[in-house]
Amino acid sequence: MKRVCCGRPVFFVKPESGMNRKIMNIYVCVKHVPDSAATITVEGGTGINEKITFLLNPYDEHAVTEAARIKTGLPDAEVVAVCLGKPTAETTLRAAMAMGADRGILIETDRPQDSIFTALALAAAIQSDGRPWIIFTGKESIDSEGMQTQFRLAENLSLPVATNVIKVDIDGDGVRVESEREAGTIDVIRMTAPCVIGAGKGLNTPNYPTFPDIVKSRKKPVRRIGLADLAIESPAAGMQIQELVPAVEQRTPRALTGSAADIAAQIVDILKNEAKVI
Amino acid sequence: MTKKYDAIIIGAGVIGAPIAYELSKMGYKTMSVDKLPDAGEGSTAGSCAIVRAHYSTEDGVAFAYEGFKYWLDWENYLDHVKDEKGLAKFMNTGSLLIKSQGHKWQNVKKHYDAVGVKYKELTNEEILEMVPVLDLHEFWPVKRPEDPAFWEEPTKMLEGGLFCPEGGYVNDPTLSAHNIMRAAEAKGATFMFNAEVVKIRAAEGKVQGITLADGTEIDAPVVVNCAGPHSFKINQMAPGVWEGCNIKTKALRHEVMYCPAPEDYDYINKGYHQSDGDIGCYVRPEVGNLFLIGSEDPECDPKEYPDPDEFYAGRGGHGRDNQLTEEQWKAQCYRLGRRIPTLKVPNQPKGVCDLYDCSDDWIPVYDKSDLGGFYMAVGTSGNQYKNAPVVGRMMAELIDACEKGLDHDKKPFQYKMKYIGRTLNVGFFSRKREINYNSSFSVNG
Repeated sequence: MKRVCCGRPVFFVKPESGMNRKIMNIYVCVKHVPDSAATITVEGGTGINEKITFLLNPYDEHAVTEAARIKTGLPDAEVVAVCLGKPTAETTLRAAMAMGADRGILIETDRPQDSIFTALALAAAIQSDGRPWIIFTGKESIDSEGMQTQFRLAENLSLPVATNVIKVDIDGDGVRVESEREAGTIDVIRMTAPCVIGAGKGLNTPNYPTFPDIVKSRKKPVRRIGLADLAIESPAAGMQIQELVPAVEQRTPRALTGSAADIAAQIVDILKNEAKVI
Repeated sequence: MTKKYDAIIIGAGVIGAPIAYELSKMGYKTMSVDKLPDAGEGSTAGSCAIVRAHYSTEDGVAFAYEGFKYWLDWENYLDHVKDEKGLAKFMNTGSLLIKSQGHKWQNVKKHYDAVGVKYKELTNEEILEMVPVLDLHEFWPVKRPEDPAFWEEPTKMLEGGLFCPEGGYVNDPTLSAHNIMRAAEAKGATFMFNAEVVKIRAAEGKVQGITLADGTEIDAPVVVNCAGPHSFKINQMAPGVWEGCNIKTKALRHEVMYCPAPEDYDYINKGYHQSDGDIGCYVRPEVGNLFLIGSEDPECDPKEYPDPDEFYAGRGGHGRDNQLTEEQWKAQCYRLGRRIPTLKVPNQPKGVCDLYDCSDDWIPVYDKSDLGGFYMAVGTSGNQYKNAPVVGRMMAELIDACEKGLDHDKKPFQYKMKYIGRTLNVGFFSRKREINYNSSFSVNG
């Protein structure tokens, strides 16, 4: 089912006509997250042992891929990856640049930040850098799974936002997106640029880099900004992790027997009626 | 009550299962024990199951070439046994050895000629006709991405390769061990799982049997150590065995990666096994049109020898546990990315991290021991999967000869390979040997 609606932007950043702008900045907010396949161990009650693989948040891969796709054929467009993270998060910016971002901005912090502060820092860094045309984020990060940063960022910049976007078309001075907010229902939304787009997995197939792409990304610039440089006012509210508790997986393996057709039917039944995933 | 058998085989992987099979065929009443729940679920499951002939020694080439014949005739080898899980398949893709400074390929060629291995020398142009996605510049020596020299532009070209039409991989190594177990059972062998050996019992210089963690005692005049990465622990349990080995074994951590093939390259159907010492990688097709990228253990890569029990429990920390590392993911994928410039490298590492049972010179120990009745098929170093059926036959004949009075240390057993007709001096694999400096000291054996 498709529903059609319009974003009603209140512009904090006054947009120029997108197609006439000299440089059409597409910002992609990326996060440096633990590999979902890594063995996560809780340390100190509220943190994790970080001697594991960290990588570009998988939803952000879709965001970068889409930004690079939109840039193709728009010679004045520039894709800028922005990340709030520890100095080691540069590897995630390099990954984004290998996938097509032209340059990176690393807002350095020494600790994990909540989505309230993250959205303030990202907004300030983007505003200090240039005028956004489109701002991409992933629809969520796979570590905190808050699904808040995109909305807070849009609010901070007074821009319209759409989440779990699975299609983006440039439409005059704005974009037309398809947003899957609930399973089986797609909202078709037209937003005037600038706007914020939370990329969903259905948006595209991530365009992973080749070795020549990786070589090029090593030469692309990364600007490092200290939080003090952004003069962010302390937010009135914040979120704090009280306790991290490892999830206990309950596995109850059982053998399925019978013909291939019988087993296939049993699997479908389990997925539908027990796991309830289809 | 103590159970009695003619032979106990410790380990039901791809080395232990064929030994049980061949001993059973010779009339031995065998008991195989394994600490895991089923056959082939240990380091066999992590094997890349490559079947290729290039080894650094002539005996190594001959042994591998003999092994081909078993894989090509798998159903006959299994005596047409039924396995409810189906049969493993040998995927005969052909095997390409890139001529490089990373391999003593001139020796390999000499050994191919001596053994009679079918092969063809290829120019770079002929290689590109077969594998059009390759960039045949020379990247030697193998480096890590952390090294600035890794990123330097190459200037020289490689000089072709050796292609063997016989070679490839087995599609499911766990299943292959399971197949052999079923074949062994059909000949009377018994397998016991979830059975961890905690003691090797011996008296008056002779092995008497084993004791399991639950206290079960099993007696036999013959015990064979095929415990893979745990083999050195089993040898240490057997009185005098560890001390009597000049060549020791230990468990070496190893990562293998899965990276998607370029979109326009049908690697799973048209690709070859390829061994490329110039970049320190070997590759073979994997389901999903993936490149399976193994490392040929270049000197610049870290070597970790963890405790196998700690490793499999996921302990030991970054670079020592059973998790892939970002550093090695990048090292192996970027190395292949240089050879295949259209290869796309995902951000998330995907692959397998397991252990080799590695000997001091990367050549296995197939031998008796200083404890009467205790034998070993250990130190298989990630390069013996392909030889497993031959090892089964050779070990069974060695054990039988020794039990009938042969002093293998003084007069080494001579094994006649039934397919290629050569005779192999099994003393080549002796625990008492000096380190064999003809070895590649790598997974290439």
